[in-house]
Amino acid sequence: MAKDLGERADGIRRRDFLKAVGVSGAGATIAGCSTGEVERLLPYVVAPEEITPGVATWYSTVCGGCASGCGMWVRTREGRAVHVEGNPDHPVSQGGLCSKGHATLQHLYNPDRYHGPMIREGGVMRQGTWDEGERLLAASINGALNPLPDQPARGVLFIGGYMGPTSSALVDEFMLAVGGDRVDFDAVSDAPLKEAARIAYGVNAVPRYDIGAANLLLSFGNDFIETGTSPVAHSKGFASMSAVDEAGGEKGRFVYLGPRLSLTGLNADEWIPIRPGSEAAVALGMASAIAGPDAAGPYANLLQAYNPASAAAAAGVSVEAIEELAGRFALEPSSLAMGPGPGAHHRNATAANLAVMILNHVAGNVGTTVFYEGVSPAATASYSDIESVIDAMASGDIGVVIVHGTNPAYSLPSTSGFVEAFEQVQYKVSFASAMDETSALCDLVLPDSHFFESWGDSTPRAGALAIQQPVMQQVSTFDSRPSGDTMLAVLGHLGSEPEVGTFYEYLRARHETAHDGSSGDFETYWHQTLRVGVGESGATDEGAAQLRAPDTALSFDTPLLDGSDDGLTLLVHPSGRFGGGEFSNSPWMQELPDPVSKITWHSWLEVNPHTAEERGIRNGDIVSVSSPHGSLEVPVWLYPGIREDTVALAMGGGHTGMGRYADGNGVNALGLLPAEAEQPSGALVTLATKVVVEPTGQSRRIATVEGSDDQHDRPIAPAVQLALLGEEEHEVEGEHHEELRELQGVGGFVPVPAEEGAPSAFPLPGAQHGEYADAHDGPRWAMAIDLDKCTGCSACVTACQSENNVPWVGENQVLMGREMSWMRIERYYEHVDATQADDLDVRFLPMLCQHCGNAPCEPVCPVFATYHTPEGVNAQIYNRCVGTRYCANNCPYKVRVFNWYRYTDDVPEPLNWQWNPDVTVRDNGVMEKCSFCMQRIRDAENRAALEGGRDVRDGEIVTACQQSCPAECIVFGNIRDPQSRVSEVVASERTYRVLDELINTQPAVNYLKKVTFHEVSSGEH
Amino acid sequence: MKRNWLIGGLSMVVVLAGAAFVQGGGGGGAEGDGEVGQPIAFPHDKHAGSEAGQANMDCQFCHYSAERSVDAGIPPVSACWGCHQVIPGSEHPEEVAKIQEYVERGEPIPWVRIYKISDHAHFPHMRHVNAGLECQQCHGEVQTMGVLTEPDDAWGGANMGWCIDCHRDVEGTSAFEQASTDCAVCHY
Repeated sequence: MAKDLGERADGIRRRDFLKAVGVSGAGATIAGCSTGEVERLLPYVVAPEEITPGVATWYSTVCGGCASGCGMWVRTREGRAVHVEGNPDHPVSQGGLCSKGHATLQHLYNPDRYHGPMIREGGVMRQGTWDEGERLLAASINGALNPLPDQPARGVLFIGGYMGPTSSALVDEFMLAVGGDRVDFDAVSDAPLKEAARIAYGVNAVPRYDIGAANLLLSFGNDFIETGTSPVAHSKGFASMSAVDEAGGEKGRFVYLGPRLSLTGLNADEWIPIRPGSEAAVALGMASAIAGPDAAGPYANLLQAYNPASAAAAAGVSVEAIEELAGRFALEPSSLAMGPGPGAHHRNATAANLAVMILNHVAGNVGTTVFYEGVSPAATASYSDIESVIDAMASGDIGVVIVHGTNPAYSLPSTSGFVEAFEQVQYKVSFASAMDETSALCDLVLPDSHFFESWGDSTPRAGALAIQQPVMQQVSTFDSRPSGDTMLAVLGHLGSEPEVGTFYEYLRARHETAHDGSSGDFETYWHQTLRVGVGESGATDEGAAQLRAPDTALSFDTPLLDGSDDGLTLLVHPSGRFGGGEFSNSPWMQELPDPVSKITWHSWLEVNPHTAEERGIRNGDIVSVSSPHGSLEVPVWLYPGIREDTVALAMGGGHTGMGRYADGNGVNALGLLPAEAEQPSGALVTLATKVVVEPTGQSRRIATVEGSDDQHDRPIAPAVQLALLGEEEHEVEGEHHEELRELQGVGGFVPVPAEEGAPSAFPLPGAQHGEYADAHDGPRWAMAIDLDKCTGCSACVTACQSENNVPWVGENQVLMGREMSWMRIERYYEHVDATQADDLDVRFLPMLCQHCGNAPCEPVCPVFATYHTPEGVNAQIYNRCVGTRYCANNCPYKVRVFNWYRYTDDVPEPLNWQWNPDVTVRDNGVMEKCSFCMQRIRDAENRAALEGGRDVRDGEIVTACQQSCPAECIVFGNIRDPQSRVSEVVASERTYRVLDELINTQPAVNYLKKVTFHEVSSGEH
Repeated sequence: MKRNWLIGGLSMVVVLAGAAFVQGGGGGGAEGDGEVGQPIAFPHDKHAGSEAGQANMDCQFCHYSAERSVDAGIPPVSACWGCHQVIPGSEHPEEVAKIQEYVERGEPIPWVRIYKISDHAHFPHMRHVNAGLECQQCHGEVQTMGVLTEPDDAWGGANMGWCIDCHRDVEGTSAFEQASTDCAVCHY
């Protein structure tokens, strides 16, 4: 069960409190000041050369969080990983890192990791030694293959998830040596996309997209920003494509076609809410219109059967919308359409992806924005493979099964029969690092090390090869071992003599063999690759792929759905926070507000408000959702971004054996799905059934961090129409503005003319307290956030949480509004229409402490705990703070958070190893908020001082949020320096400061307005 | 675990009232530290003193990162052993022999911490060392002390006023430029 943080373990009743004050006040006071404990200084026995105490050591490695293989820099302090950042030298991720990438740090220190090899004896698991475990595995394999005379021989099976190429090669070698079979299964799979590429181009890999090169982008339900093949790379490409260029004239347009707005969809300029499953019809209808009557090529006959009218009929939108879009797509010199990808696999998902490939073909996009290169970093293992072995397991033909890197007992529909079949296997072995539903069924667990503790590699794209190197010793709490080492040891016990003893030697030897010498000797190449994090591989682009005739019969029709006709179509999609459920035991991911719904911890069913109204369902009502395959109860969240005939559930909830943070939160959406593979790719279908949604009569409060999805006519996140850029008249959005202006001066704020609030007008009145009255000629820190680039992905939120030791508080505390995050992403709907093809306008606004020059929080603090530093930062001094919370009360931005409890004390060993030693871990009774990463400012200053007392260079201080942002929308620097990057960005005509004109707070955080194609609404929406 | 959060609250009140703020740290060790209050009776004067029979070593020979890191660093056991495997010690060879035991067991020597600044304050050693401060200005004449069991009178690190005295340099007695007295320079 999730921990009930509402009734906290250290909770104290008022009566007890008064008693304690009376009896033990004095004693407690002394105890509070002096711990009385002896503190020890423990030196190294032998000091490691590369470690200087107090100085961070960085290692480059590959993120093992998902199949994308982004480059990572890991900051270690005294041999512990404490923070991760994106590797700017990596060809795919280019310095960005997603939320899940940050959360891999919590996998490393996950308190629910296995403490060592676990052996089942008499129905109970006990901890054993590695030698014992490895011999048991070898003996069980021997026993299955060479049974006693009266027993039949049984097979050995390996069920794997995504792994790097060398790990995968070793598994193949291992299974070849023991004569067993291997199947792979990923909860979130790109198999239909990959199969479509094989059919259409003979390239058995997912295509690579150059989104940045497109001017018109179409996504057929592909959630590439959050859950696609490579979210960081795609976000980066999308930001460079869709953001207005510096000159202010060019901006790419993004059209989203799909029944539900994913996070990606919310970033679109136009939304065509097509029926679920109609992607193929729409894409072919458009392709037909573009190719015209004399279409040639292998798909000419197919295109004859489609036209915009048939597409419109299938999609449930107007013919004009399809024709008009097809016209634009053909005319645009550089366009790109992306197929559904891993979002929702219906029964014709491969055909849908193939149809979009044909659309790209007729529009001439192959080789300019879409590439078929034969390298597949993505997870593409399919359900049909595992389906085929379920029967074998059930019949008792399998003697030993090894599960590694996948959790089928959770991520398969219960109707698949996996669990029952698995239990028929004589000896079940798991390499799971931490507890999960599958390893709980096993007889032997040989826990794999975390990727921060082991070697590996990845091929993020053709021609590139990245090495995953360990960044620290094994976390001493856990007696784990890299699975590669385990397999080599077991091979040894089985009598085959591997040429190498460790996986490191295996990996190195493999790369040495592959090294062609063109880039110098291997040793130099190896060290260079380790240092940079990525190197060249021999493989290069195989040239332009040619569309070829299909070798497989496909249906391009809208697929049939199970369930009653009057039900609502259920869309089960991967979660941006949990993936397919792999990240559910990370409290950061649990408490990170979902980028679309802003809900934490629990699951929700997305229902269109009109649909809900018709059925008498309100926000927060708990409904029963039933399909022919199962039913569950879940609260409703009303979402205007979903078609009226569709409901959606995210994956990742409803764990039952994954650990203390995952278990008991939410529901497992797979319970509603049939155990069925899409043909021909074999992917598990996730859009296959209609469901009946009925109120249960119960309701609950949604654990959301959202205050409002409406700006209430305030210019919080204003936008400007592209056509008006360069004109003077776009400063004020909406007529409402004048009325609000009259409020100025109320509440003690004195209005100042706009030019006096300009960044150049510092130092400001608010800064002139006490001894800071003297002018300060040092830097004045400021930030710029470009809302035209921000996608709302929330990577910054998790980066901040990691960097600044921000605690999580649990679902019940979130319900009380006590979430601690220093950053949140506001999401405002301006124009969302789920009934027809129309413009879409949704605004995202990263909200953090605005570091107001005239800060409302500062004068109300009775103890001077919050004040303005001479460098323009609104500082919060924890040891001064007495917790009156007046400052939070007076903050118009709601960015101050209060430690109601000792949240950080609740963090179990060794999860507390993740704390950043450069930042104070706050105690209860203390207010906190964004510090502009003060520790990073100090670090840069210290470094500059050591290097001859030079000035801090522009760009040297990179805040955690800025570093992580895949869209590069955050810039930080000294605004007093006119040459600094932040000064240049803030000079944009789009710059505004939130609420500044109304309440004269003079923030140091500058926002650049989002740019829209359509006329910006005037408040009447 | 039951915890009285009033402890924190009351201690805040005490801070506000300006009462003495007693810092944990000194005051003798636990079992195994012997009568001297440290696991090994390490005499700073023998090592750093400049009198006859004293080694006159620079502080940073052992506290090796003071010049380049926020932490001064404490010597690894191997550093002690590097010298002491050939220097058995003239007065207390039994103490020197303990080093060998730690080396052989591969264990750190659990020194009792004497000088400590609160967790909510950040003290970058390198900034102070590079500004030209002598270690002795804060830590006292350590090179004349035997086994350290409590902070020297020169040390006032439990009290922010002591830091501020130097940063602000009210009397102009310090040879250094006035350092920042901005709260957020140390507290973040």
